[in-house]
Amino acid sequence: MDLATLLFWIFAVILVVAALLVVGLRNIVHSALALVVVFAMAAGIYTLLNAEFIAIVQILIYVGAVTILILFALMLTRIAGLTRTNPTNRLWPIAAIICILVGGTIIYAVTTSSRAIQNTMTAAQAASQVPANINNVVRIGQLLYSPTSYSYVLPFEIASLVLLVAIVGAIIIGRED
Amino acid sequence: MLTLNHFLILGAVLFCIGLYGAITKHNAIAVLMGIEIMLNAVNITMVGFSFFNHVNAPSQFGFGVTNLGTLLTGQIFAIFIITVAAAEAAVALAMVIAIYRKRDTVDVGEIDMMKW
Amino acid sequence: MALYENSWLILFAPLLSFAVIIFGTRVGDMLSRPRVEASTPHEPHHAVEAHDSHGEDHGGHGEDDDDDPKVPSLSAWAKISAYVSILIMAVACIYSWVLLISSMVPSSPLPTEGITVFSYTWLNVSPLSYTIAFHVDRLAIAMLVVVTTISLLVQFYSQGYMENSAGYARFYSYLSLFAFSMLVIVFAQNFLVMFVGWELVGLSSYLLIGFWINKRSKPEEQRPSPAEANLQAFIMNRIGDVGFILGIMILFVNTGTFEFSGIEQHITQYHTSPALLGVAMILIFCGAVGKSAQLPLHTWLPSAMEGPTPVSALIHAATMVAAGVYMVARTFPLFADASPVAFQVVAWIGALTAFFAATIALVQSDFKRVLAFSTISQLGYMFVGLGVAGSEYGVGPGMFHLFTHAFFKALLFLGAGSVLHGLHHAMHKEVQDMRLMGGLASKMPITAATWLIAVLAISGFPFFSGFYSKEEIIGLALEHHDIVIYLLTLVTAGLTAFYMLRAFIQAFGGKGGKFMGLWGGPYRGTGEVHESPWTMTIPLILLSIPAIFAGYWFGFYSYVNVTAEHVLNLNVGALLADPLTWLGVVVSLAGLGVAWGIYGRVELAKIHAVVESNAFLRTLHRILYNRYYVDTLYNWIAVYVVLGIANLAQAFDQYIVDGIVNGVARIITSAGSDVRHVETGRVQSYMIGFFGGVAVLAIVAIVLITTVGK
Repeated sequence: MDLATLLFWIFAVILVVAALLVVGLRNIVHSALALVVVFAMAAGIYTLLNAEFIAIVQILIYVGAVTILILFALMLTRIAGLTRTNPTNRLWPIAAIICILVGGTIIYAVTTSSRAIQNTMTAAQAASQVPANINNVVRIGQLLYSPTSYSYVLPFEIASLVLLVAIVGAIIIGRED
Repeated sequence: MLTLNHFLILGAVLFCIGLYGAITKHNAIAVLMGIEIMLNAVNITMVGFSFFNHVNAPSQFGFGVTNLGTLLTGQIFAIFIITVAAAEAAVALAMVIAIYRKRDTVDVGEIDMMKW
Repeated sequence: MALYENSWLILFAPLLSFAVIIFGTRVGDMLSRPRVEASTPHEPHHAVEAHDSHGEDHGGHGEDDDDDPKVPSLSAWAKISAYVSILIMAVACIYSWVLLISSMVPSSPLPTEGITVFSYTWLNVSPLSYTIAFHVDRLAIAMLVVVTTISLLVQFYSQGYMENSAGYARFYSYLSLFAFSMLVIVFAQNFLVMFVGWELVGLSSYLLIGFWINKRSKPEEQRPSPAEANLQAFIMNRIGDVGFILGIMILFVNTGTFEFSGIEQHITQYHTSPALLGVAMILIFCGAVGKSAQLPLHTWLPSAMEGPTPVSALIHAATMVAAGVYMVARTFPLFADASPVAFQVVAWIGALTAFFAATIALVQSDFKRVLAFSTISQLGYMFVGLGVAGSEYGVGPGMFHLFTHAFFKALLFLGAGSVLHGLHHAMHKEVQDMRLMGGLASKMPITAATWLIAVLAISGFPFFSGFYSKEEIIGLALEHHDIVIYLLTLVTAGLTAFYMLRAFIQAFGGKGGKFMGLWGGPYRGTGEVHESPWTMTIPLILLSIPAIFAGYWFGFYSYVNVTAEHVLNLNVGALLADPLTWLGVVVSLAGLGVAWGIYGRVELAKIHAVVESNAFLRTLHRILYNRYYVDTLYNWIAVYVVLGIANLAQAFDQYIVDGIVNGVARIITSAGSDVRHVETGRVQSYMIGFFGGVAVLAIVAIVLITTVGK
């Protein structure tokens, strides 16, 4: 087992365990902290996939901003005197079954589908496909901002609009009146 | 010997865990956390596809650029997902706080005014 | 020829009279009545107000004040109604006698098959065409004479009988309507018109029986109210009409026309199966059974006696009930072409009815009821006559008996009316029970004498009119080897003589009267009885003439047969020479003699005591008095069977049909109220449903793709 595979398994196991903790812990703040671990391990996986920029952006935004946001919201919506702040629904058996079914079908479709793209390529082989002197950040920048060659500049602009609307909306909704 | 299947299966498992959290949790913010997990699962899948099914794309167009270079479509998509997820988390949490102010509860089981 | 072509005037004259009375003179009569309640007892007998006032109870003047509302004196308008009706009917009567006399002459221009006098094409949908057509031929003329003459006499008579009645004008309008309806039947050229007339006479009978609409029933005398009686009559007629319509329809479907001549032509041309014709004609005969009160649809005729006696005389003795006989006579060629079963059915029902009714009439104590059953019995004779005649005599015997019967039966009824009128005046209430009469001959001689003539006529006393018509029918039954019918009719003749003389002696005679109890004697009622006024006795006298002499028209058979068959006439010589004829005479005389001996010599009370003491006689009396309990049977059927089925149907409708409809609605509403709980308002339960669906669809898709794709 080479390093990449080992790292993957470490990250994956911690990721899944942390996700289970997010769902399963009784105290919601503990759940939020487990969520941080989830985000961090996801960043690690991105790094394994040669997506450094995404990994950093993940840490910055998810761990840095979204988690703080969640913690602030938890703080502002505390109901005093409650020991179990993260209760579970009555219908959890049915939900478990449904989730297992959905997951099972996805996994089955992905692994045994004859129409799926041939997934036998290993990471090593895949890594050799990328042209050698491409810097991930540079390339993403080119793809996002380039005005002349193929680029995603229009979705980028729209995403900025979305963020603007979200800011304004959050302010208005969260206002005290 | 990592293959794409590893990442896809990981994504599927995470998606299901996030779905379970979104369906079964009473606290609205816990539901949101479940949704964040789901989005992350999707992101992992996206980036995985981008890495393993790499596209060194010759141009499909009949004019202009002849070679598009190496496309990182999955990663771009992941960036946008992160962006939108952040925006959505902001708005959603603002709504939770507003509901908390009005009804003094964040239990989604209590918010059933559209029932029969 | 113009004489015959204008005979439609006879048909429409009574209609004109009806219209004039209803829209003219009766309106005047109603408007001329006093508005306020006149409460002064001017007349000692009839102290009741006019109009529909239920005024003060003038107790002591009997219970029939509301039953038969009277006015102190008739208005001029009412009298004019009567004059209009009588005048028009007189003109019609004279016209019909002129037609009769001119058509008897050999050089008469009237063809045997008759001429159409009025035709109106009602509907023309090719190839079918429906016309309202009236025609006149010798059979029609014979019937016309009977109808118009008796109508005229009855209308004249009603001036006296219905004096001071509050519904005087209405009565004459109904009589005119009835005359019109009967003439429609007589003149009809096709089944459609005849059926219209059929129903119209049913309507007129309904109106006339129920004339005294507020009269109460008398259950102790087994008498229904007029309102019940007219309904019974109408409905029983209707029951017979079901068969009538079915028969007409069978004929129409098979021949394509309603015309009598057309149907006959079609049958001879295409040789229609006799079995089919037999079925059709038996069904048509059902209509005659209903209209002419034969077994089993006979119970309405005794109840119809609740109408005024002139009505009974006109409708239920001479004309309307004879419509059934006339109809069979009209369709005689169809009966002849049908299977012989049809004639057998006619003859047998006639014979059984004759015997049945005669036995019942033996013990009735109501004066008019005896006459009602006598009518039923004599109508049975007419049907026997039609059934056994065969092709040598055609419709002759049956129609001849109709002809003579009309006169003496009308005479009997009008005489009875005269008696009842006198008793009403004497006892101040309506009396129809013969046990309260007796010895009236000395007080009402004209009535008694004419009644005696009619009794002799109906009994078949030699050389009166009934002798010729009745004995011929009895003889024909034997000639055609219908032994049982012969015996039935023979015995019935004896019974007829017995009960008619019994009625006569109970009313007019009694022990101690002259001629061994025949004339005069003790009077069992109260009050002073007087002879009736001249308006009532003149028709009696006039009717007694044809009661004796109508039987002497020996050319009747060949006159009345219009279907071009060569018929024999009544051979009087053979009739008088045949010893079996005299056997029949002996039977009748025996009946007369027994009645004379019992009722003329023994007091009524003693006779009743003898009957009551003997067990056999008592049960026999009870059965006959209750008319073989047929009425109770029909009542039971109506209440338990008909209403039972109706209740069953209603319960079915209420519980099953409505139950299904309401049940479906209830299922849906309850399902809805259970399903609404799915909408919890909580997003998470919706998401469970959502992703559950996703999982199911995904599994289905995978299964399909993996199995089908291969």
